[in-house]
Amino acid sequence: MSNRKPLDYSINEPLYNRLNPLQYIFKDIPLYVSLLAVLIFGLMMLYSSSSQSLTMVARQSIYIFGGLVLMTLLSHLKPDSYKNLLMHSYWIGLILLIYVLINPSSGYTTSRWIDLGFFQFQPSEVVRLLLPLSLAAYLCRKDEKIKLSDWIFTSVAVVLCAYLIFEQPDLGTSIIVLTSGLIPIYLAGLPYKIILSYLVAVGILSPYVWSNLLDYQKQRVLTYFDSNVDPLGDGWNIAQSQTAIGSGGVFGKGYLQGSQSQLNFIPESHSDFIFSVIGEEFGLIGIFILFFVYGFIIWKIFSIGFKAQSNFERLVCSSLGFIFLLFILINVSMVIGLIPVVGVPLPLVSQGGTSIVVHLLAFGVILSTKRVQT
Amino acid sequence: MRDIQDLRKEEEGLKALKLRSKIIFFPFMILIFLGIFKIIQLSIINKDSYEAESERNRIIELPVYPTRGLIKLEDGTIVAENIVFHELFIERKLLDNSAEQINFLFTQVLGKQRPSSETDSFPKNKSELLIADNLTDEEISRFKIFSELMPNIKLRTSLRRYLPHKNLFSHVTGHLGPVSKEDKIIFSQSNYSNDALIGKVGIERTFEELLKGKAGKSFIEVDVFGNRIREINRVAPLRSKDITLTLDINLQRLARQELNSRRGAIVALDPSNGHIKAMVSSPDYNPNILNRSEFDIPLAESSLDEAPFFNRAISGSYPPASTIKPFIGLLGLEEKIIDASTIIEDVGFFQLKEDGRRYRGWKEDGHGKVNLEKAIVESSDVFFYELSSKLTIDRISSFLAKFGFGETTGIELLTETESILPTRNWKLGNIGETWFVGDTINIGIGQGYITSTPLQLAVSLSAIANRGIIYKPTLVTQDYGQESNQKTFASVKIKNQSHWEVIEKSMISVINSWNGTAHNLYKEGGTVIAGKTGTAQIRSLVDQELTVSEEYEGVRLNIKDRDHALFASYGPVPDPNLVVVVIVENGESGSAVAAPIAQKLIEEYQKSTDYEQ
Repeated sequence: MSNRKPLDYSINEPLYNRLNPLQYIFKDIPLYVSLLAVLIFGLMMLYSSSSQSLTMVARQSIYIFGGLVLMTLLSHLKPDSYKNLLMHSYWIGLILLIYVLINPSSGYTTSRWIDLGFFQFQPSEVVRLLLPLSLAAYLCRKDEKIKLSDWIFTSVAVVLCAYLIFEQPDLGTSIIVLTSGLIPIYLAGLPYKIILSYLVAVGILSPYVWSNLLDYQKQRVLTYFDSNVDPLGDGWNIAQSQTAIGSGGVFGKGYLQGSQSQLNFIPESHSDFIFSVIGEEFGLIGIFILFFVYGFIIWKIFSIGFKAQSNFERLVCSSLGFIFLLFILINVSMVIGLIPVVGVPLPLVSQGGTSIVVHLLAFGVILSTKRVQT
Repeated sequence: MRDIQDLRKEEEGLKALKLRSKIIFFPFMILIFLGIFKIIQLSIINKDSYEAESERNRIIELPVYPTRGLIKLEDGTIVAENIVFHELFIERKLLDNSAEQINFLFTQVLGKQRPSSETDSFPKNKSELLIADNLTDEEISRFKIFSELMPNIKLRTSLRRYLPHKNLFSHVTGHLGPVSKEDKIIFSQSNYSNDALIGKVGIERTFEELLKGKAGKSFIEVDVFGNRIREINRVAPLRSKDITLTLDINLQRLARQELNSRRGAIVALDPSNGHIKAMVSSPDYNPNILNRSEFDIPLAESSLDEAPFFNRAISGSYPPASTIKPFIGLLGLEEKIIDASTIIEDVGFFQLKEDGRRYRGWKEDGHGKVNLEKAIVESSDVFFYELSSKLTIDRISSFLAKFGFGETTGIELLTETESILPTRNWKLGNIGETWFVGDTINIGIGQGYITSTPLQLAVSLSAIANRGIIYKPTLVTQDYGQESNQKTFASVKIKNQSHWEVIEKSMISVINSWNGTAHNLYKEGGTVIAGKTGTAQIRSLVDQELTVSEEYEGVRLNIKDRDHALFASYGPVPDPNLVVVVIVENGESGSAVAAPIAQKLIEEYQKSTDYEQ
């Protein structure tokens, strides 16, 4: 029997909460405050790491503000109302990925970017959040048991996206998209028999696939995992970022006092490597406080998700919770030198309009699953 | 309304989701623990090494060179100073891409030709290339206006060594030059940058370490591109020392003016303390050209054949000629071979009993009956031929050695050469022959193997002026920690002190007596000067058929074969305060050419010291 009492909900809520307009607008104030805290902290770190460029901070602030407005609007929609749109958005992502492959933007060595003149973005950055959402929507489109064909269809959809990104070439992101696409499929209840047969298939097919890969593709894979080959100077970057974090110690060198970041020794310190600036200037304590807030946000995502009404909502929330955690872990692991360099920003902190807006939209989806009585 | 069926289904779905969530969370947990462990390792366990690494990254150490010490005179006159120059340079690595900018600089901004020869050769050890030097204020402001168009070209200032009096002190101060391999062995290399100049000769060389000081360090914060952000710390350089010279600028100027670019040298020193008051070697050069602080003018006014870099005052070896006669006379008195009244007959030549060879005097008919005083006054060669033949070389050379003949004086100039004081062994070793009496006879009139430098002659003469006490000659007013602390370096003891007076009296008469060789200097009531003329032969006059003067007429056709004119003197007597030695190469007449210069110097010095009192 259900131990949930939907009707009691309003009765147990304190009176001021029911009447609080903020509660109505923002739906979950603790989550909202935590997000704001991370975003504002991100702006501070952006200021510190961009040679104190107010222009960059202003640009980022505009994206944050826009993202927050979209998030709030989205949070008031009923998930069912955009479920279909979300499902079909897979095709938009696929088209964008194909577009950058056949029509690479000039000025970049790899075809990852779409240049809209006023705004450039990487489709892969959109796809890695859009893909799991659309898969969740697809798997939950009907209120019945998921069929074998659906499992296979979604799995192929994920592998296709991953392959297109691999061709950009961006092996790191391709693996991330593969992982974040498989998470909702697994959480939706992918039968272990199918998982087992996938593993067997991969085991049998991989030597065949490998031998059929073109030389440049093999080279790409080998280069990525070979620490002796350092075409982009990643080794130097990692050493500098480790130096920054290590020299920050427990208490850090103080805001704007990090010599590694202020003197530009850390590459991409305002975007992918911003975590090393945090480590240098705020030390271990700063890192743990940030982790704590991130942890709280993730816990919030799951607690909202597990309270949600429909399978779709629960699947969406828990998938996004894992994906959010995944991105944080991959970014931090890369900056501290645990894994090879991948182009993943630190969620909500790193500079980059697409990343901020897409993440806030994801939180809009999460918040939309929360029912608030008024 | 949902029915129970739906609710149960939903409940099961949630359970399954939570279970699967827990399963996925497991690998995540592993990554989280690994990450936290790695972060703790970085910022706690290995913190120190990363901290050091971060400091190494941001801080570079640059040497800070102190300003080179000044060279001054006692009255405060600046002899060598440092002045600011503006120069344009370009980094080596940017050079290849900068042809357009350099072209723009010279055609549009400076409006002059690029000096080609020196700039095109690019020394390997240098990281920067000088492309324009000695910019005027107008050129600097024009450059600043257009500097954005020439980002590779940088303006900088440098201090250069400058002698306001140009040539006047050239042989004393010397000049600077690039650091050579030998210099790197002698001096601490860390004290010199790649394009540093180092003292090459003269005072600049001797006191290089003091004048240079010791480089300090500046710790500068740099960013990843090597741009300098700020200075963090500084180890102050060891201050350089100023050097004060003993020279008197008026004497120095007068001496240079009197030599008037003729080849020669003048040394004037104070016999009571060894202080050099004037030291001029002519012709001279302009050290500023070599110090790179003056441009577009010739290095020396004379041709290089005349050796303008050669410091004749300390390195020129000349026969002392007749100026040695007072010393030989003194020895004769001391050895009781003669006394003040001993008279010999000068018939124009001296004939050796052994082989009958004749040694001619400069005066064909001889000086008649001569005693010691007359022999010095009229410079009788025959008197000293006979005297020296009796003295023997052994006694002569050991006596002259006491006066500093054959030695360096130890002055603070490293290029000083030893004069030659021959002995039997010296001749055997250097010429490979045994000593002949004829050699001794030549020495008696300061010819033959014996040589003196002008400085050594002045120092030796100061012994007579000072009654036997010789002070080590010096160019600096105080002991700057050079090796010898002794001021007195010799004391000539003689048996009978009155012999000093006999010699001095004779030397005074050289000027004051109507028959003196330098009587042309005599002025009624003028400063009393003791002196001795000398005429140093370059070529031996050996033709027995001709008289000395007839033979010399042939020799003097070649200017370089003409006799050197010497005058060694001191004054005023009594209480002399200046010993002056003047040598004019190929000047022919000690009395007419060299002596008046010495007299002017002594009189000029009297004026200035009287004025001081």
